[in-house]
Amino acid sequence: MTSDQDTTSDQAGTVPAWTSRGASRSSRPWRGAGLKRERWLGYYFLLPAILLTTALIATPLARAFWTSLHRTRGLRSDFVGLDNYVYLLTTAEFWESLRVSAVFTTVCVFFHMLLGLGLALMLNKVVFARTLLRVGLLAPWIVAPSLGAIIWVWLLEPQFGVVNYMLSSIGLIERYQTWLGTPELALASVMIVDIWRGTPFVMLLLLAGLQGIPRDQYEAATIDGASAWQQFRFITLPNLRYLLVVASTLDVIYTMRHFDVIAVMTAGGPIGATEVLPVLIYNTAFTQNNFGRASAIGILLLGVILIFAIFYLRATQPGKARED
Amino acid sequence: MQESPGIRLLRWIVLFAALIIMLFPIYWMVNTALKPSTQVFESPPTFFSTAWSLDAFFALFESRPIGRYFLNSLVVAGGTTVLSVVLASFAAYGLTRFPVRIEPLIILALLFIKMLPEALLVVPFYQLIADVRMLNSYLSLVLVYSSFALPFAIWMLIGFFRVIPRDLDEAGIMDGASRLQTFWLVVLPLARPGLVAVAMFTFLTAWNAYLWSLVLTTDPSMYVLPVGIATLKGEYQVHWNELMAAAVIAIVPVLAIYTVLERYLVAGITAGAVKG
Repeated sequence: MTSDQDTTSDQAGTVPAWTSRGASRSSRPWRGAGLKRERWLGYYFLLPAILLTTALIATPLARAFWTSLHRTRGLRSDFVGLDNYVYLLTTAEFWESLRVSAVFTTVCVFFHMLLGLGLALMLNKVVFARTLLRVGLLAPWIVAPSLGAIIWVWLLEPQFGVVNYMLSSIGLIERYQTWLGTPELALASVMIVDIWRGTPFVMLLLLAGLQGIPRDQYEAATIDGASAWQQFRFITLPNLRYLLVVASTLDVIYTMRHFDVIAVMTAGGPIGATEVLPVLIYNTAFTQNNFGRASAIGILLLGVILIFAIFYLRATQPGKARED
Repeated sequence: MQESPGIRLLRWIVLFAALIIMLFPIYWMVNTALKPSTQVFESPPTFFSTAWSLDAFFALFESRPIGRYFLNSLVVAGGTTVLSVVLASFAAYGLTRFPVRIEPLIILALLFIKMLPEALLVVPFYQLIADVRMLNSYLSLVLVYSSFALPFAIWMLIGFFRVIPRDLDEAGIMDGASRLQTFWLVVLPLARPGLVAVAMFTFLTAWNAYLWSLVLTTDPSMYVLPVGIATLKGEYQVHWNELMAAAVIAIVPVLAIYTVLERYLVAGITAGAVKG
């Protein structure tokens, strides 16, 4: 098991930037470390980025927390302590939105991973036209999510949309559906669009991981008479395990906070069926003009995301990965 | 490993089916954009029209400030790219060349920012920018876009800078170059593929961003393409061929750039395990 872990964490770059850091530093200390003159130079190079980030991330973040402790109505703003949080945690609206977010994220990530892995495995075996296939399969990820969503609104249009036409002409549906107008279909539709949009990236990551698996492992297995399934089960999966954990955790975070597709396609409707947390934040802030409550939802969403962030951190720590 | 030709053929069929499914929406956008208005609402729809024309594009340019949206997108995405890549190059150089004690903290902060939900920050951004009366300005958009783009850019560039041997810097300094000179004349040229990847990634992310400018611009003449196009969709009667023509204008340029430079982008993404 240990040797498997070693090969995976060495895979070309797909490992997060810091993991190789500690090793390279301890094996070869920076020669200039003793130079007094240069001691602060690194900070000067970092300063502009730190200043900009402090001003543009830390300040708004603090402001969001501060706002979440207020009741805001138009220009009026009163300090109410934790009232917004109490309200959210005791009414159905927030929990319902959290449930929609959980369903959306679970289904989308599951299919991103499943289809991404399948495509990566096949693409890894293809030689002819491989670049063409990769470029083409990655294209949905290059299209702006909001614009991709608009294209899909047209594809799913109830009367003249091509999806209704194709599905009914092959007999899958009996009559034309209003995809974005019925609660269950709307949720399914936005999930399909997100799967279309999000699968290519997972495929790309896993493809890079597959290319890092040493060929001789497969050759040895072939000599031993291992079947294709056995090779997948005992060589590919263990080698890819680390990357699968990293990719799925990251994907959970990115999918959970995704806004554009749903905002454009349904704006959270019909009757809240697709109102994931980010869309709820937007609607609360800019439709209901309730900045305080919107910020409180945002802080709660951040809390949920941080749980997965901690999971990601634990998974990517090099020492940790080798331990188990 | 010997495989039967049947399996190979099957794999090809599955991959091409996937390719067709993935690309079909993009094809349908182009197909609709090229249809005359009369054909858009035909049932069954025409999959390959014989009457393709550019009418929808002309109509669009006549009735909409799509050129202005395009310019806005270009300015905001371009400005964001320049600002982020310049600051990220300095930061990545500082982190990979000097003993920076707070490095773990910085890495953790970068990671944290990468995971922040945009929807949480857009509320305070709106408040702060409205307070200083900077809504509808390029500057505020570039700054807000950069707040998210910069950590990504630093993250990716660290990977590229680290593989450039420090011996080269040291050799430069031995030859009497200053730190800035080695940065500019030694490291940056060597990191060029990385810089291209990061610049491209930043530009794409900024070009495609929706939420920021949805909230931070209220004046239609300041809309960027995604926001301007989304407002077209909200109208009482949607001219789908014009709407798809607008989408073509927004999507096709980046798809073209991406197709040409795909190699760089893929290298950059897999180097930093980044996602937009």
